[in-house]
Amino acid sequence: MNPIRTIFLTEIAKGLWLTLRKMFSRPVTVQYPEERKPVAPGFRGRHALVRDPNTGRERCIGCLRCAKVCPSRCIYIETERDPETKRMVVKRYEVEALRCVFCGYCEEVCPVNAIVLTEFYEYVGYRREDLYFDKERLLANWDEFLTTQKRPYFNPYWKPRGVPEKMLPAPKRKAEGV
Amino acid sequence: MAPTLELYTRKIGHPEWEEPFVVNMGPQHPSTHGVLRLYLELDGETVVRCDPRIGYLHRGLEKLSENMTYTQAMVLTDRLDYISSAANNTGYCLAVEKLLGLEVPRRARLLRTIVCEMARISSHLLWLATHALDIGAMTVFLYCFRDREWLLDIYEKICGARLTVSYPRIGGVRLDFTPEIIDELYQFTEEFPTRITDYETLIDVNRIWLRRTKGIAVVPPEKALNMGLTGPSLRGSGVPYDVRKFRPYDAYDEVEFEVPVGKNGDTYDRYRVRMEEMRQANRIIRQCLDKLAQTEGEPVVAEGAPDLLMPEKKKAPRAVPHPKKGFMVKGEEVPVVPEGEVYVSIEAPKGELGYYIVSDGSGKPWRVRVRAPSFVHISAIPEMVKGHMVADIIAVIGTLDVVLGECDR
Ligand code: SF4
Ligand code: SF4
Repeated sequence: MNPIRTIFLTEIAKGLWLTLRKMFSRPVTVQYPEERKPVAPGFRGRHALVRDPNTGRERCIGCLRCAKVCPSRCIYIETERDPETKRMVVKRYEVEALRCVFCGYCEEVCPVNAIVLTEFYEYVGYRREDLYFDKERLLANWDEFLTTQKRPYFNPYWKPRGVPEKMLPAPKRKAEGV
Repeated sequence: MAPTLELYTRKIGHPEWEEPFVVNMGPQHPSTHGVLRLYLELDGETVVRCDPRIGYLHRGLEKLSENMTYTQAMVLTDRLDYISSAANNTGYCLAVEKLLGLEVPRRARLLRTIVCEMARISSHLLWLATHALDIGAMTVFLYCFRDREWLLDIYEKICGARLTVSYPRIGGVRLDFTPEIIDELYQFTEEFPTRITDYETLIDVNRIWLRRTKGIAVVPPEKALNMGLTGPSLRGSGVPYDVRKFRPYDAYDEVEFEVPVGKNGDTYDRYRVRMEEMRQANRIIRQCLDKLAQTEGEPVVAEGAPDLLMPEKKKAPRAVPHPKKGFMVKGEEVPVVPEGEVYVSIEAPKGELGYYIVSDGSGKPWRVRVRAPSFVHISAIPEMVKGHMVADIIAVIGTLDVVLGECDR
């Protein structure tokens, strides 16, 4: 060790000078409940089912692709045929958010962009059922989320940047915001 | 029968009854960085024997991946070394790509290199923060976390998640960067070297830091190789082994960087190696960003890459002779992923991370085995702490940079 350094404690003084300088710089701490950091677009947070603005129903066509791709197998879907219109409708669509790993695979594979992971991340519940989203809950999540968003809203995973068009299912190629 | 008080009083002071003092360190000890439990036998304050007990974080990720398709299993690799998940994802994707014989587009390779180096910086920052905190430097901890936060914010902008990114995919990456992300990364690489200088001002020649790290847990090069150390822990002993140089993957053959090595193989040298590695990682990111401009608008997923929704079985139609109709079309099972086995290793921030995958032709891996650096490094702890003080165990755990999620899998 350098004797001058040992006697005059220069390295300690240098360190203290640095901390002193930093004391007068702009603080980076965010006082969380009062102030919040902006969330990046495409953040993978709470699930929501997209409500079709034309029909007022969910956009989902019940193709089960999301349920099949989900690594944690937390999406349950039941479909039935509407006796009047003879079209498949989704009877039951449930997401068990406690098991979800927030990988975003479901929103990426959905051919009609019907499911989305919203930018909402502060959701808690006292019971497990509170985080077991059924179809109504998921649609309500969407309505709640849309009030905080600029329209038209478009999730980056609905049409991933840079992925060649021919790898996407046809409806996704000309997907538009809601 | 319970031993009586008389038995104890008789035995105390008897030379043959000098049993070592046993201490359990962990699994809830804050400086074991997770759930590592060390069974210590002490003589006064000196460690006589150390026995790591692992497995508190075992989730069976290797077994779980056997029940998932290749794309689904990638999500699990995020949870190995959760501090540098992008590097884990990349290693897994490289292994599956080798199995499939896919050629990844250049832009995707560059993007993956960038996120891997970001993972290296954020992992080393977390290492420096906690290592310094364990040894007693609080300020560095706060500064490192401030800068790591910036990196996590960039991750959030890239892919929407901060820690478990799942950003690469088999055959490329899932999304391209936006111009704003590239600008922000330029800003980061511009500013980060001065931040490293700040950390060095605080602890590089600080006498407490030097006393706690110099000459602690010295590993000579031969011993380091025999114990199977990899990554910065090996390079601290002066062995210039780096997978990025020896078997370049992704875009590492296009960029220039140096592999820093230490001399004495003590805790201080490993600290120096990691600090230098952060500078080199910063340099790599910078070069990759410059190269990204050349590949503007190119696809980021390889031609023929498997869809996210991978089939478990695939059938191809084939005409077979039929006694009455002449012929009929029949579905015949074809392999989704070619049969075979691969081993691919990458330079993860903690060391050499290897994936060994056996495929039986279906859409699910038949066996996935992870060669996790932390697992090997933990096996080196008993050798390294022998003869040191209890307080130095903390320094040894810190210097090896173990993550229990990866060790226990
Ligand atoms: S984010 Fe991933 S784990 Fe969660 S529901 Fe979607 S596919 Fe399943
Ligand atoms: S992939 Fe989309 S359309 Fe198909 S079931 Fe899931 S949410 Fe509905």
